Amino acid sequence: MQIERRKPELLAPAGNLEKLKFAIHYGADAVYIGGRQFGLRAKAGNFSFEEMAEGVVFAKKYGAKVYVATNIIAHNENLAGAHDYFKKLYDIGISAVIAADPALIQACHEAAPDLEVHISTQASIANWKTVEYWKKEGIPRVVLAREVSVEEIRQIKEKVDIEIEAFIHGAMCISYSGRCVLSNHMTARDANRGGCAQSCRWKYDLFEDGTDGTVAVSDQADEKYTMSSQDLSMVEHLPDLIEAGVDSLKIEGRMKSIHYVATVVNVYRKIIDTYFSDPENFQLDQAWIDEIWKAAQRSLSTAFYYHEPTEKDQLFGKPDRIPKYDFAGLVLDYDEHTQVATIQQRNSFGIGDEVEFFGPNFYRFKQKIHILWDENGEAIDRAKHAMMITKVKVDQPVKYYDMMRKQK
Amino acid sequence: MNLYKPELLATAKDLEEVKRLAQAGADAILIGHQQFGNRVAGDFELSDIKEAIDLLHAMNKKAYIQVNAIFHNQHLEALPDYLTALERDGVDGIIAGDQSIFQIKRDLNLTTPLTWNPATLSTNYQTLNYWHQRGMDRAALSNELSLDAVIEIKEHVSCPIEIQVHGMTCIFQSKRKLVRNYYQHIDKSYEQDQVRYIKEDKKADSHYPIFEDINGTHIMSTEDLVMIDYLDLILSAQIDGLKIEGMMKSTDYNERIVILYREAIDTYLTDPELYQIKKAGWKQSIYQTQPNQRKIGTGFYFKEQIY
Repeated sequence: MQIERRKPELLAPAGNLEKLKFAIHYGADAVYIGGRQFGLRAKAGNFSFEEMAEGVVFAKKYGAKVYVATNIIAHNENLAGAHDYFKKLYDIGISAVIAADPALIQACHEAAPDLEVHISTQASIANWKTVEYWKKEGIPRVVLAREVSVEEIRQIKEKVDIEIEAFIHGAMCISYSGRCVLSNHMTARDANRGGCAQSCRWKYDLFEDGTDGTVAVSDQADEKYTMSSQDLSMVEHLPDLIEAGVDSLKIEGRMKSIHYVATVVNVYRKIIDTYFSDPENFQLDQAWIDEIWKAAQRSLSTAFYYHEPTEKDQLFGKPDRIPKYDFAGLVLDYDEHTQVATIQQRNSFGIGDEVEFFGPNFYRFKQKIHILWDENGEAIDRAKHAMMITKVKVDQPVKYYDMMRKQK
Repeated sequence: MNLYKPELLATAKDLEEVKRLAQAGADAILIGHQQFGNRVAGDFELSDIKEAIDLLHAMNKKAYIQVNAIFHNQHLEALPDYLTALERDGVDGIIAGDQSIFQIKRDLNLTTPLTWNPATLSTNYQTLNYWHQRGMDRAALSNELSLDAVIEIKEHVSCPIEIQVHGMTCIFQSKRKLVRNYYQHIDKSYEQDQVRYIKEDKKADSHYPIFEDINGTHIMSTEDLVMIDYLDLILSAQIDGLKIEGMMKSTDYNERIVILYREAIDTYLTDPELYQIKKAGWKQSIYQTQPNQRKIGTGFYFKEQIY
């Protein structure tokens, strides 16, 4: 029996306009960005209204959508201007906002009734009755808590007719998101308004308090107490989430690099398309996993999707050896007659370096750099200067937006 | 004429503590079971809850039940029966922070008053007015607010509000078993009942209690909140509920604290000038009552936050 399944949206982070363009060019159906107000990534590039407008125009060419995160837990003084802000986002052509605080949800509904509000993971939605509550409030989509399992998602989709967005890749809070004030308590930096100091990843001393005194447990161990989570990756299990009915597959990381966003989007785009071309005969390809690890920053875990995470899902002991890659250059142009690519330098590279070119649709090949010129056609050994324009003889065709990476 | 009469609330771990804290002057007692409540001071089965309600009502006091866990689908199976039983037994209110409660109350036509307490998420008056319109009867404010913000909220909300004035505060909740996981990693046997705390690196006097229960791992503040010498600011703003969090403290300690706050509140309401004279003494009494390692502080009430 053929099961009717709608292709879920692949939703990617975009910390700035350039990342937005790469995320969409590499296959994201939608991106989420932060504006200058009401967002949680105070340190991400964040978009001005002009940049948002340019992003929306770019996205439209690909049929992609742009969402804006307005996911702070607001204090009284943070709410001024919310109505104007949402009205402006709607006028710009933003497709939805992602919010957790009802004050902002309501402000959006009042100021821009046709602008969709998606409930953020900061609201820790973990059961179907709560999802039903938001459905009755006219909410078209909820982002679930990272603590729900694949099975729980399936149950929620069976009970409530609403779009479900779930994380598939990236860094995670080890707490219930929004329910952690470690950073605020220890450093006066309010995580729920974008100031998280990542205190969960620090080292602590752990003590047992008993009738016969206090025992410093962590002093007797090889390692101090810590609560650092591995990163989420569903690269090996994506069909489970698709079959559970997830409508939007979300990648975390507005602070991550262009190389990260392009690589991760490329892999998940490939998996989704491969699955939908023939769901019954879908098989995992080791190359996708290998590719994901080129962008990995920590060890990877499936978090709560199959079982409650154990110590193996936390970062203990020496970090796993993860090969690190630099984004070495961006392909601006290619001459098919001479097989010479025009490349904008993003990290130092030169003659003799083993590099890998890659582009959308999981296109990729490795080669050594044999011949390298500067902008004026002078042969050089290395491209040392940031953003300098170079010419490189390439083994296979490349095009604008293809990237060149190099192992560190 | 001043009709303002604040409610002094205290948590209790068992029936004896319910009785002693009510006798000591608490107007209402908060109890619950970890199956439905987050960070309850002790586990009360339904039969104990019934007994506590009867005991408190006989003393003209109120019983509130903590039903403030973050619910997963599995919780929803037993929750309707639980809430129905609480209403039947005459509970004066439930404390919850998950939107499923609004749905279940509506489904079952339950009228038990609801105190909305989503821990860290009650931080502005527009949000609280939103929940009031949706059926919340009272708002428990987040601990991460300045006292000025609390007062501003009081001036702009349409329902009663309560704040914590004493005891430890929760600063972290994970669904993961983060202590057990560490013990696994260092290959040490783990006993859940063991009392534990963590210290920040290079902060020798920090003392964060950490424990696990069926709701996951909880970390509590390094200081106990003590607001007894700022009750003039709180009471002049006519804050409706003042809560003493008594978890992880002895009944003797909590009884002593309730007596002091009762006296301080009543003194302020009848003779504000006498309150000013006596407040330093009450604070001194608390200071002397504090367990080893438990510093006192004012939490976020006078702290500048960066974001």
